[in-house]
This record gives sequence, C-alpha cells and structure tokens, in this order.
Amino acid sequence: MLSILLENKNGFEALLMGNDAISRGALEAGVNVVTGYPGTPSSEIVEQLAKVAGERNLYVEWSVNEKVALEVAAAGSYANLKSMCVMKQVGVNVAADSLLHIAEYGTRGALVLVSCEDPGALSSTNEGDSRPYAKMMEFPLLEPGDFQEAKDMAKWAFELSSDIRNIVMLRSVTRLSHASGNVVMGELPKDIPEAIFEFSGTPMDQMKGPVLAFPTLVDPLRRRQLEKLSKAVAAFEESVFNTYVGPQKPELLIITSSVCQLYAREALTILDLWDRVGLLKLGTTWPLPPRLLEQHLSACEKIFIVEEGTPFLEDNIKVLAAEKAKQVGIKIFFGRKDGTLPPVNELNPDLLIKGINNIMGTSFQPVSDDYSEKAAEITAAVALNRELTFCPGCPHRASFWLIHTVLKLDNRAGFLCGDIGCYGLGAGPCGFSTIKILQAMGSGIGMASGFGKLDMFGMSQPVMAVCGDSTFFHAVMPALVNAVHNQSDMILVVLDNSGTAMTGFQPHPGSPASATGSKLPILDIEKLCCAMDIRVEVSDPFDLKATRQILLDLLEDGGNPRVLILKQPCALSPIRKGRKMYEMAIDANRCLLDHCGCNRLCTRVFKCPGLIWDTQKNKIQIDEVLCAGCGVCANICPTGAITAERDR
Amino acid sequence: MDLDDKNQQGQKGINTKVIKQGLCTGCCACVNLCPSMEYYKDKTTLVHDCNLDKGRCYTYCPRTPTNLEALRHELFNSRDIIWEIGPFKGLYMTRATDENIRAGAQHGGTVTALIQLALAEGIIDEAILADQNDQLLPIAQTIADKDAVFDKAGSKFVVSPTMSAFNRISQADAGKIGVVATPCQALALAKMKVNFVPEDKMRMEKLKLVLGLFCGWALDWRKLQKLLKEMLGDLQIKGIDIPPSKYACIEVYTTDRTMKIPIDKVNTCVRDNCNYCFDMTCEFADISVGAARSPEGWDVDKGWNQVIVRTALGEQLLALAREKGVLEFKAVPDKNIEKLKTASAGKKRTCLMNLSEKTGSLDDLIYIDPEDPVVRYIRGMKLG
Repeated sequence: MLSILLENKNGFEALLMGNDAISRGALEAGVNVVTGYPGTPSSEIVEQLAKVAGERNLYVEWSVNEKVALEVAAAGSYANLKSMCVMKQVGVNVAADSLLHIAEYGTRGALVLVSCEDPGALSSTNEGDSRPYAKMMEFPLLEPGDFQEAKDMAKWAFELSSDIRNIVMLRSVTRLSHASGNVVMGELPKDIPEAIFEFSGTPMDQMKGPVLAFPTLVDPLRRRQLEKLSKAVAAFEESVFNTYVGPQKPELLIITSSVCQLYAREALTILDLWDRVGLLKLGTTWPLPPRLLEQHLSACEKIFIVEEGTPFLEDNIKVLAAEKAKQVGIKIFFGRKDGTLPPVNELNPDLLIKGINNIMGTSFQPVSDDYSEKAAEITAAVALNRELTFCPGCPHRASFWLIHTVLKLDNRAGFLCGDIGCYGLGAGPCGFSTIKILQAMGSGIGMASGFGKLDMFGMSQPVMAVCGDSTFFHAVMPALVNAVHNQSDMILVVLDNSGTAMTGFQPHPGSPASATGSKLPILDIEKLCCAMDIRVEVSDPFDLKATRQILLDLLEDGGNPRVLILKQPCALSPIRKGRKMYEMAIDANRCLLDHCGCNRLCTRVFKCPGLIWDTQKNKIQIDEVLCAGCGVCANICPTGAITAERDR
Repeated sequence: MDLDDKNQQGQKGINTKVIKQGLCTGCCACVNLCPSMEYYKDKTTLVHDCNLDKGRCYTYCPRTPTNLEALRHELFNSRDIIWEIGPFKGLYMTRATDENIRAGAQHGGTVTALIQLALAEGIIDEAILADQNDQLLPIAQTIADKDAVFDKAGSKFVVSPTMSAFNRISQADAGKIGVVATPCQALALAKMKVNFVPEDKMRMEKLKLVLGLFCGWALDWRKLQKLLKEMLGDLQIKGIDIPPSKYACIEVYTTDRTMKIPIDKVNTCVRDNCNYCFDMTCEFADISVGAARSPEGWDVDKGWNQVIVRTALGEQLLALAREKGVLEFKAVPDKNIEKLKTASAGKKRTCLMNLSEKTGSLDDLIYIDPEDPVVRYIRGMKLG
C-alpha cells in the first residue's frame, strides 16, 4: 500500500497522526535529507519518511546519535539541500554542541530541527524541555497547536529557514505527535536540487565561503545571527500561526502554545467564558513578536500563561512586559510559577479549568475530588494489576537474573550502573532491582568508569554497567574508551538484542540494513572492544550456567575494564519470527509450589509473564499464548518441574 | 530483639537475626535446601528473597535460637555432660598407624584414619569432608571410596561448605552418611537430627556419624588471601598450621620453606562470627578431634591428635580402631583435660560477653538461651 504521505491531490483531507503531519509538511517543503535517532515520541517521522524515500528521492538515515544526526543534516544544508533532523527532547542535549555552532554560522539550504517532547515523561527518564535552546543559541522556535498546523508549520519552518538562512526548531509534544486529526494536504514539489558544497568565497560569505567558527569570526557571525533573528521576529509579527480569539477587552488573557491551546479551548467552552476571556495562541514562541504581545498585553490586566514544560513562555512574556511596562501597564501573571498550574508534569483541560476557576471565581468541577480513588476501585475489580515487566522470552530477564545472582554471591556490595532502554526496567522487580543508577544514555558506563577509579579512597565495591547494542554505539564508546585508557576497574555488560528494541527495531551501526532497508556493513561490537585490547567475553544469556561462570570470573579478575557481550535477539525481534525454541511444560508432581524448598521461585521471583500461578487450583502453568519458549525457566526451577523440549 | 517473632522464622529471620548480626558461620546448613540461598567463596548469601514465615534454613541454622539443653538430652547421655567441653566418655591421644596418612595429615591423621575405617567397616557409605583448591578455598567432597579419603587430609582454615553437600546428598540416593564437621556444622547437624521437619525425616536418618573438629576460629577467605599476598607475594602455599599460643604466630608452609605470620595479623582475618561461637571442642559430634598438647612440646605434639569420645558410636569406632590397629594410642597427660576445660570455658565466656555486648543486655544472647545450664555455669565460674 502506498503511504498516505505520497497522496498528491491538493486539498485532499486525511486523518493523520501528528508525526505524519510533520512528515507530510517536510515533503511538501521538498525535504531532501532526513536524519534522526529513535526516541519516543519522535520515531515515526524518520520511519515514515524512510518508507517514501524511494518515491520522493530522499536520503534518510538513522544516525548513530543525535549530534551526528544534526551534523549529517547540516551537511545537507551546506550542500544547498533541504534537511530535517528529528529527535526527542533529550536528544537535543546530545546535539547541543553542534547546534550552537550551526546556529551561530547559519545555514544554506533549509535546516529544520524537530524535537518531539514528552511532558509528563510518559516514555522518558526526564521531562526535558528543549525550547530554552532556541533562546540560548538564538534561533527561531515554532510550536504547532494542532494537526493541520503540524503539517503547515513544518512546511513553513523550511521556508523560514531558507529566508533567514538559519536553523529553525519545530517543537511537538506527545499529545500532538501521537494523536491524530484531520489534515488538508498541499502539493508535493517536483524539483530535484543538486548538491554542492561551495567554499570559494570569504569566511563571511554564508552561501559560498568556507564554514568556519574561528575566534576572530565570532563577533561578525553573532551579529549576523542576531540579524536573522530580527528577520524572524518581523515574520512572526505577521504570522498566521499566532491567533487571537475573544473579546477586545477580556477580563483574562490566556497566552498559550502547542496542544495547550486545545485544552484552553475546551476549558473556555465548558466554563462558557468565551465572552470574558481571550485566548492568544502563539505558534512562534521564540523570539516573541513584541508588537503583537504589546497589543494583547495592553488589553488586559490578568495574564494566564499555559504551556507544556518549563515556564519558558511565562518568563519571556514577563521580560517583554517589563520592557514594555510603560505601554502595557502593570500585569498580574498566572501560570506554573504561582501555582495556578502544577509546576511539573503534563497539563490537561481539567487542570486548566481548576486554574481558571481560581482566577475567575468560576466553580465547575471537572472531576470529583475522589475521582482517582473511585477509578482505582473500579479498575481493581475488572483489570489485573500488571507490573512493569520484561516481555516473555526477553533476554534481559535472564541477563539481570545472572547479574543479580553474581553480585549477590560476590558479596562485596557490588552494584550495576544502568542505562536507558527496555533494560532500564532492571531497576525494578522484573530486573530483580539490580540497577542502582539510571540516568542518561551512556551515562552508566561513564559513571562506572568513575566508580572504578575510587579504590584510592577505599572503595572496594565491584562496579558493573549495562548498555544496549544501540546505546553502545550512541554514547557508550567514548565512555568505554575513557574507562580503558584510565584503566578503571569495571565490567561493561553489553545486552545485545540485535536492534533498537524499545523504539521499534530501528537499525543501528551493528545492523545489516539502513533506515530504508538497503544493505549496510555491520560494525561488530566484539571486534570494536577487542581492538581496545581489553578482556572481552561473549555469551548467551539463556545459557545461565556458562554465563554465570563467566560473570563470576570477570568479577574476580579485577583491576581493569572488562567487557561481556550477552547476545540474544529481543523476544519481539523480527529475527525470531515468533518461533519458540522450546516447548515448555510443567510436571506437577515435581513442583514444590510455595513450600519451603522453592516457594514459587518461577512465579514469585523470576516472574516471566509466560508462567502463571493458578491460585485456585494451586498449580503452576505455562501460558501457551504468552510463552516465547526461551527455556530459561526450566533452568531456574530447583526440582526440574519445568521441562523444556526442543521445538521441531 | 524479639526472638519469638512468628513471622521471622524463615529467610527473613536468617537475614535479620543471623546475617545482619554478623553471626553467619558459613556452615551452609541452609544451602541446597532451596534456590534462594547459595554459598560462594566462604560466604552464604541470600540470592533471592523468600517471604515464607517458616523455613528449614531458619530451623537448622546453628545461629538461630536453639535449645542446646534439649539437644544434649536428645543426643547424649546426660550423665556424660561436662559443662565446659560437653558430652564426655573419654579423652585420648592418638595418631594414624599408617605413616602415609600421617605424612599427608595436619597432625596425627586421626580423622583420616577414622573416616577410612568407618567407610571400610560399612558404618557409613559416604563421607563428607573438606578439600580445598589451590587458593585455600575449601570444597566439600563426598567420598565413598576409603582410598580417596587420603589426599583430603589437612586442616582447612576457611569454613567449608560441608553442610551444603550434606543437604545435597541426603536428598539424593545416598546411604549412610558420615560428616567431618566443625562445631557450627555439628550443631546444625544436631538440630537437623532432633528438630527435623517431617519431610526431612528420611534424609536425617541417613546421618550416621559426626566426626567433629576442635575449632578456635575460621578465617575470612578474602581477608586471608589479601594477607597472604601482602606477606608472601605469589608464593605457592602448601599448608598452614597453628602452633601453641606461646608462639604467637601461624606457620605457612610454602614449597621450600616455612614462613611465620604474627598472630595479631592473622586475628584481623578471623571471621567476625567466630567471636560469637560457644563451642571449641565440637560438642555435638560422636567423636571430636583436635591438635595434641603435651609437655613433650610442639615438635612431638604436631604428630598426634587429642580425641574426645562423646557417644556410644564414638566409643565403638575408637575401640574398632584400636582393635584393627588403625590408630596408635599414648597416655594422655594428667593436666590435659583441665587445660581443655579452661580453654573451652574461655571461648564460651568470650562468646557470652560478645553477645551481651552486641545486644546491650545480659538476658539477650540472640541464639543462646541465657537460662541454658552451661551458660549459667560459665557465668557462675570464678575466674583465675
């Protein structure tokens, strides 16, 4: 089936997910180069564009990390192509160093940075807000407020970038990226540009000179950059993406951006306040258009700022109001800072209604006070209490079982530094609470490298770290190089499940294929580690006995960095094709259940969802539907009651 | 501490009352009963949490509250009890007749000779004893062939996972089992014999003979490794011995010489739990064997053992050894029993002191009943 993104009828209306709307906008703008690193809620954009790469003549790449993704996209821009780079909020931090330099110099072909952010950290280890980068590094920021705008503003972001010759950031949030709405499409362009990098001009010749960030060039480059911002402000003053609805002299002015505008509309409709409250929705949130703001701030004393993330708009509007104090007068501000809205976490219409109630004296109660208790009560009766857990047959369960066991046996208070990915669950019960430090991508290995040098201060705890195969390439390699060079006493365990599993099996440098499916050479993690001249072991986490021995041996072999690569594809990996390795069964005669001697190790501690304890019959059973046939539980059962027969 | 906490008689109790209190001896009585407890490098660890309120780990552990008096009455003739050194039917000085056994043994080779004899005479079918690897780390060996006992001789200064082997083979199809045990292991075996849970009845019946070892303390393997490395570098160690206390050292035998390590250095390697041990002479054994002490001096005593016989089976075995000429006997110096009593009472006194210090109460001795007659006797003894 042809992707809906290729529909070329002008005015065609379709239900599109926010991320698809952004992809469509990029196609309508004539994007040529698309790069990114997977991360929820951003991943679909690169995935969907990869699917139409052939038809639309795109170069699409899953890059090794966000910094490199931005650099690859920038190369497209410097070669006069239109480029887009896509990542989640945390990725912008990884890309930040290059971002600063690219923004200072400017671009040639359009360059759009799409950051899909996760307010409320639904699928993240943080609630990062990358909008302040736009202010800090002085480039324009756009925030679409609905699905049509996601498409239209994505396209406009390319035009703006071409006009001002600098990078433009388009910020989406989960509720836009992953929700769907109707989008009216425009035309897809036909022109195919030619790529050339010109360097014949002077360094200050942005279109034809070499791209150089020299100390002596910083002053003129920065001045040029600020001129670009001024041009953006001029465009923002007129932008159709900044809209106002409401009375001329409202009692309260709500200023908002992104999907919060939808929440605000819902709240004002429910409270029936449209004739008293004005809604200024900003699509261009940095730099703020001062004339537009002055006009609206002048009309009202009370200002309620509603935004996802940190008080970014709030602070900037306050600064602007101070600058324009003479014209706009004294204002009373409401927002996240004064407690009208919660200081953290995702917003929703109910929170807005509560906020407006406080300001306007309205009294609509969106939900009763005991709503959450009631909801919990009702769901408890009908829905099973499901813990966060690894999938049946997940190799990580076996890996953490082993790491947990050897650290306990070793008995020197050894600990595991974790990393993000599915295996972050290693910090929870399904990973036997093995991970004790969990922060950014690759940071566990950097920290292990540090802990491994603290013996001079009396630290004698063994230090281990885990990372996934994709993370290994993304951020672990420099940390491992650091550990090797500084001879840190630590063990890195690479949980190689053959893909970027958590975000949907996007390929990485260890995979044999590109984002678009073409064949690419594999970078072998084992060879890379061996080249660092350290002890490298490879094992199968499903082979509990052998892997346990290797781990115990590695723990004894202290003094230097060591690496263990645990190889076993993700249970959901397409490589497995859903096939079971073993047919599992339970011999009830041998099963000790919860008696002393076992106490349901399988269903109480190991807890694979493929194993069920039928409390009514008091029997352990295999869930034939869920069991992935990995065979590991047969090896943890102390009495041999769980049997594994090789599947034919 | 509430010793009667009904919900703490499983692994949780082991954790709070034994391991966290620093009392775990590493005897391994709780290992191989279930998958949650394991032995590794002279330590017993709780690998997985178990939430049972009652468990065999707790029932058999020699450091959970124990009615020692009940065990003494159940296993021994009450009239045989000597307060300081336990059940007593006689004290002997013996050594293996076979020179080859003596050559490979720590001292007189009595343990080796008696185990060989018990196997040869069918008193036991299998013996569990401690071997060790080249890094002085003990391994529990199960042996059915009497000739294979030979090269396992020699004292181990780190606790051996003997009880884990007992749990393993007693649950398998072993016949009559004999165990060479330290005092903590012998106490665990006594608790198993007397307080077994019903499903363990059959396997406890297999336990026929407990050959006890005198024990002053065991060393922590990791600390010992560190000390030996510091003192001797990478020299290959063939054996260790402890001369009488006046020498204030241990002797370490390497391939070409004997090195002496001052006892105060060694003391830093002693397992903490040994400071809370109430038993020097392995009172819950059939026969207990230790180093000889006599006016003839260390050079002679090195080649002999001192043996306390405690049960009828112990008497029979020693008589058989005499009859078969397996052991040689010599007269026990008059003062030896008093010296043993003094040394053993000293260990008991230190234990009681340390336990009271830990709990801050004379009435809370964690695993020992303050009303136990031996406790009352030791506390009532006049010092000096």
